[in-house]
Amino acid sequence: MSEGPYDIGPGRPRLDALAKACGTERFSADVYPPDLLWAGACRAGIPHGRIRAVHTAEAARLPGVQAVLVRSDVPGTNRQGIVHKDMPVLCGDKVRHAGDPVALVVAESRTVLQQALALVRADIDPLPVLGDMDAALADGAPLVHEGHGSNILLAAEIRKGNAEAALRECDVVIEETFHTPSQAHAFLETENGVAHLDGNGVLHLTVSTQAPFRDRFEMGHALGLPPWNIRIRNPFLGGGFGGKDGATVQCLLGLAALRLPGRTIKMWWDREENLLAGYKRHAARMHYTLGAMRDGTLKAVACRLHYDTGAYAHLGGEIMELGMEHAAGPYRVGHMDCKGWCVYTNNPVAGAFRGFGVAQVSLAFEGMMDRLADRLGMDRLELRQRNALRRGDRNCAGVTLTTSTGLGECLRRVAEHEFWTGREAWKRAAPPFARRGVGVAAVFNGMGYGRGLADSAIAKIELTPEGRFVIHSGVTDMGQGNASTYAQIAGEVLCQDADRLTVLQPDTETAHPSGSASAGRTTYTFGKALIAACERMAEKLFRRAALVLLADTPEGFTLVPGAVRHLPTGRDVPLTMLGTMLPRDDRICVGEYMMPVSREVPDTGKDFVIGFPHLIFPYAAHLVRIELDELTGAIRVCDYLAATDGGRVLNPVNFHQQIEGGVAQGLGFALMEDFATHDGHIRTRDLSTYLIPTSLDLPDTVSVAVDTVEQSGPFGMKGVGEVGLNGPLPAVASAVADATGAHPNRGPLDAETVLHLLARGARA
Amino acid sequence: MIIRFRLNGTDTRLEVAGDERVVDLIRERLGLTGTKEGCGSGECGACSVLVDGEARLSCLMLAAQLDGRSLTTIEGLGTPDAPHPLQRAFAEHGAVQCGFCSPGMVVAAADLLARNPHASREEIREGLSGNLCRCTGYGRIVDAVEKVKP
Amino acid sequence: MIVHLPRSLGELWNLLAEAPGARVMAGGTDLLVRLRAGLDRTGTTERTGKADAATALCCLERIPELRGVDCDKGQLRIGAATPLTTILENQDVATRLPMLHAACRCLGSPLIRHQATLGGNICTASPAGDTLPALYALGAEVELATSNGTRRLPMDGFITGPGRTLLQPAELLTAVHIPLPAPNALQHYEKVGKRRALAISVASLAALLRLEGQRITEARLALGSVAPTVVRCTQVEHWLAGRPLDAETLHHAAGMVREVVRPITDVRATAAYRRIVAGNLLLRLGGHQ
Repeated sequence: MSEGPYDIGPGRPRLDALAKACGTERFSADVYPPDLLWAGACRAGIPHGRIRAVHTAEAARLPGVQAVLVRSDVPGTNRQGIVHKDMPVLCGDKVRHAGDPVALVVAESRTVLQQALALVRADIDPLPVLGDMDAALADGAPLVHEGHGSNILLAAEIRKGNAEAALRECDVVIEETFHTPSQAHAFLETENGVAHLDGNGVLHLTVSTQAPFRDRFEMGHALGLPPWNIRIRNPFLGGGFGGKDGATVQCLLGLAALRLPGRTIKMWWDREENLLAGYKRHAARMHYTLGAMRDGTLKAVACRLHYDTGAYAHLGGEIMELGMEHAAGPYRVGHMDCKGWCVYTNNPVAGAFRGFGVAQVSLAFEGMMDRLADRLGMDRLELRQRNALRRGDRNCAGVTLTTSTGLGECLRRVAEHEFWTGREAWKRAAPPFARRGVGVAAVFNGMGYGRGLADSAIAKIELTPEGRFVIHSGVTDMGQGNASTYAQIAGEVLCQDADRLTVLQPDTETAHPSGSASAGRTTYTFGKALIAACERMAEKLFRRAALVLLADTPEGFTLVPGAVRHLPTGRDVPLTMLGTMLPRDDRICVGEYMMPVSREVPDTGKDFVIGFPHLIFPYAAHLVRIELDELTGAIRVCDYLAATDGGRVLNPVNFHQQIEGGVAQGLGFALMEDFATHDGHIRTRDLSTYLIPTSLDLPDTVSVAVDTVEQSGPFGMKGVGEVGLNGPLPAVASAVADATGAHPNRGPLDAETVLHLLARGARA
Repeated sequence: MIIRFRLNGTDTRLEVAGDERVVDLIRERLGLTGTKEGCGSGECGACSVLVDGEARLSCLMLAAQLDGRSLTTIEGLGTPDAPHPLQRAFAEHGAVQCGFCSPGMVVAAADLLARNPHASREEIREGLSGNLCRCTGYGRIVDAVEKVKP
Repeated sequence: MIVHLPRSLGELWNLLAEAPGARVMAGGTDLLVRLRAGLDRTGTTERTGKADAATALCCLERIPELRGVDCDKGQLRIGAATPLTTILENQDVATRLPMLHAACRCLGSPLIRHQATLGGNICTASPAGDTLPALYALGAEVELATSNGTRRLPMDGFITGPGRTLLQPAELLTAVHIPLPAPNALQHYEKVGKRRALAISVASLAALLRLEGQRITEARLALGSVAPTVVRCTQVEHWLAGRPLDAETLHHAAGMVREVVRPITDVRATAAYRRIVAGNLLLRLGGHQ
């Protein structure tokens, strides 16, 4: 069904949507090659201990078991990690969290695999468990990583001005400590992959991953393989949200494949293993001091942040960095003194998760704004509008905002909405036993990797003999729709219908390295590279068409659906002709792009190798209307409004889907998600105890796009993948404070917490 | 044991093991990977199929229980060339993001509309409350189902 | 594991006689989850017991005597293996037992309800079983059968502790009998969960009130998830008789309820919260004034 060129602007349905709805799109989990073997990890079961021995003989004897591997079977360094390589593929000396793997079993069926896993016995001498950050930081605490010298993965500071002095000059000073819980990604497709080593020594994987190109290096380093000998195919993911950034099954699968050359091996973590061994959001404790003047002008923020990174580093330092860079909120604050500690514990491994360190501080900086508004008797939105960052300001990290900064407009859209203007009447109409509240929050989330790590992409587009274009995506599509947006970008530049556009999901053999699917960058960076590649393709096709038409100049050509048109003569050269005529290496064009970084070098943040500072930020203002039940404390979210500055909107459906989905995950974080551990043991082991919102728990979100132009971005856009998740917890906290008179300082705001706040508010 | 059942309209006879789950039979032995598994314990709905026209969790059903029944998987509801109205509506109304929940969601929605063709938005949400989606927030899924109502 | 699908009770008795270790499965929503967990799921080095492994399974889903909702002489008989969806679609249940309808409606999810059964909810005997408080408040009776005959027991007392009932070996729960309350009796059910579907109950209240004007003539109160088994608050029920249905009465009754419940702290809620809410749920009855 042709509706004209598949170009940017309209909310075009995604190219992959129908196949997914029909169940014909194959995810990594859906790959079942013939004669496959199943691999599974045997995990520590206790959170901290020294391994004396791992007994594998009984398991190895079980009929149907092909291999039982332990640390001594791992070639290479046995260390994986994205930046900081501190995580064993198989533990040899000690275990540091209950999900740490001590053995790998490969068997002919899943039944035999489960039986064999139960027969593996590890003798582990327990060590004292560091179940929280206080235990890890206490004097004399055992070290999670002896070689590291302390349990602090990273201690860092971002200073702007002199906060201590500035606080003394403030009319109002407020102090509070906030806590945010650990959160599980809970993607529907759990970690999985398939691997085999072919006769040429090439290791082939199909894996559900957010970083297929980097995985090769992570595997290569861990297993002692040249990364070029690893080929990774990366189908659509059934969700990622950061939890598939960094090796999950990859090194274990690689190990099994190396051990059983020629055999195809599949690993698929069930939900319980995903919760035990998969990555999580860092739990955080944040102590804040905010100073302001009587008229609401913010002056200074001093904060101390602690992030619990669990047993291994993953991206802990980078996550804390981003949180610290956002610590005082999207506001003009003259002075900030932010200190952060990223702490090792024996909790499950914390890693990348949408909102990357910022979801945590958002509760804190917005909670401080609400408290300040209360103290000053000021309207909560007015206080935010007064202090909202504008282009040209320096943010709290001292970095000048040279790029689009639409927060003011976001706040204005919320302030003029009926949910806000009619809030008093709405609250008065609360039904019996219910209290109503309206909350607001202003949020932002830096895009891209920041300074210190090239945020780059290389796009490849190919004209086929059939006259169609194939885009070789280098960036995972985990549901955010970037694959389809790439087609729209190509459709826009090359003026082609959807029928002539195909996007191939990343394959490290045929696409080019383009970075991870993370940091809100997946449309921005690859999009810019793709525009360059498409422009080259257009240019090339004009020249080749000129040859066909014996024109003496490549001027005056344009692309139309299916052809190149020579405007002066009105003649069309079909793409099929050009596709058939040209040899393959003349039908491929490549473009690349590297995201700009801040030119500023603030004299702070020196502890960060990667990340500080960021340059481009989406902004948003959120509003939520809730009803609390006075008898149970349960919150019902009645309405949700999000006004987001994402630069130019390329496809409104994709844009709003990202906001709605971010809000949904954020509301889960706000109301019910608490990845609870006790002494290093997880208490929420499956989806009956780790609760995410069902369709009855969420309202219809009203998502409004605020128009700005991000000059550096493809067609003026910037990435909004993460910012939506940061709003709901502070917005709901704001609404609870509005309804009860008591300000929350922790998430999730479950019924029990709210009942306490109701009682506290009644006493205040 | 031998079971005889109707699979997407075709009479089928198979030998199955006692502890074989319907979800494994469908995905691994029959190669119909449209039905997904997200939890194995009935908490997510990704494994939903139609048994005698009723939506059922295939991770909590033994293959033996299919004997004498008819099984319709997502592939049997429609294909990209000839999609079921719900599949088309999901694709056209932004109800699909990562897509892993979509087959189960479509199956549950088909059952819901068969029982309650004029379901309100709230009733649609209730009807889909056994199917978890982590990507969409459900709003556009409800939109898509509303578009298919008679 | 061998799976049997008997088509009659007679066939079932024969199967159970031949294989005494066989497990019986109604909807399977509890049993299959437990069997899956029986073999250690994550392959940790802790060995798990195999107490829940089964060698033979008898499915009850094709035995007509165990299904169906029948209304006769002021009583409703619900076959123990009747799926909850069928119970929800039954007009007699909707009109004469709205508290049971409400309880069934909040159990699990639509998908779970298509296969879960009343008999399964009873025999699993979880302290948080959603239908149980309603069955206690309605004064239900369970019908138990062996190949030799049947007997009936009151619902109250049939469940002796978490996961424990008075079911004898080779005995099957075959039906639940519920006397129909007077049409003008007030039936109330509320479940508190951590989300609005697929939630294990944190506290629940099933209440039946007979009123003359604003005066309570009879009260039945059953609370779930606040003790090892459902709590039938007989002292509070007696105190309520004769009193007006108003806020003052309910506040006092709420205090009495809080003394009677024996909640625990678990991953879902603290004992303190459950105790407060158990009482608070009574206040909601004031909404019926």
